[in-house]
Amino acid sequence: MVEEDLLVNPFGWGALVLIVTSLILSYRVLFGPTLADRIVGINTVTTKLVVILAIFGFIMEEYFFLDLAIVLLMVNAVGSLILAKYMEGAK
Amino acid sequence: MIEYFFLLLGELIMVFGTLGILRFPDVYTRLHAATKCDTGGAMSILIALAIISEASPLIRLKFLVLAFLIALINPMISHAIARGAYKHGTKPKVVVDMYAWDNP
Repeated sequence: MVEEDLLVNPFGWGALVLIVTSLILSYRVLFGPTLADRIVGINTVTTKLVVILAIFGFIMEEYFFLDLAIVLLMVNAVGSLILAKYMEGAK
Repeated sequence: MIEYFFLLLGELIMVFGTLGILRFPDVYTRLHAATKCDTGGAMSILIALAIISEASPLIRLKFLVLAFLIALINPMISHAIARGAYKHGTKPKVVVDMYAWDNP
């Protein structure tokens, strides 16, 4: 498949909805009142990005995107844990 | 047919989770919206992808592995963020704070 029929598939429209909601969520990352709000926003955006990578791998039939998604999810887990431990100690 | 139902369900859950993160008044209520809606929506969309995909079964199994890892990792991160935020000094806007009784 080529890029022209990215939006013919219903899953392509689903990926578009996820991209738009991620852009809306960047308001919470940029202007969040506290530090925890920003970490929640980054965690949510990364989970949406994992799903977007899986959808693109399915539509373009290039299945190495799935490995990228799994690695990104694990990096998200370690990074968010480190940020949470940092927030525990920071005053 | 059932895969499009799963896709629509996941997208609706994701959109309402975004609305909750934008509109709720507190860190802990935002975390509540984020963890439940994100985990449920992502798992629904990945199960729909595993049903509709016509690749080899090993690749379809990878979608299910991804859904299982999201279900394993996302609540753990939410728990760590909530604990860190409380230790950081962010007080919840509630009437009764039972966590403060045990941890003065």
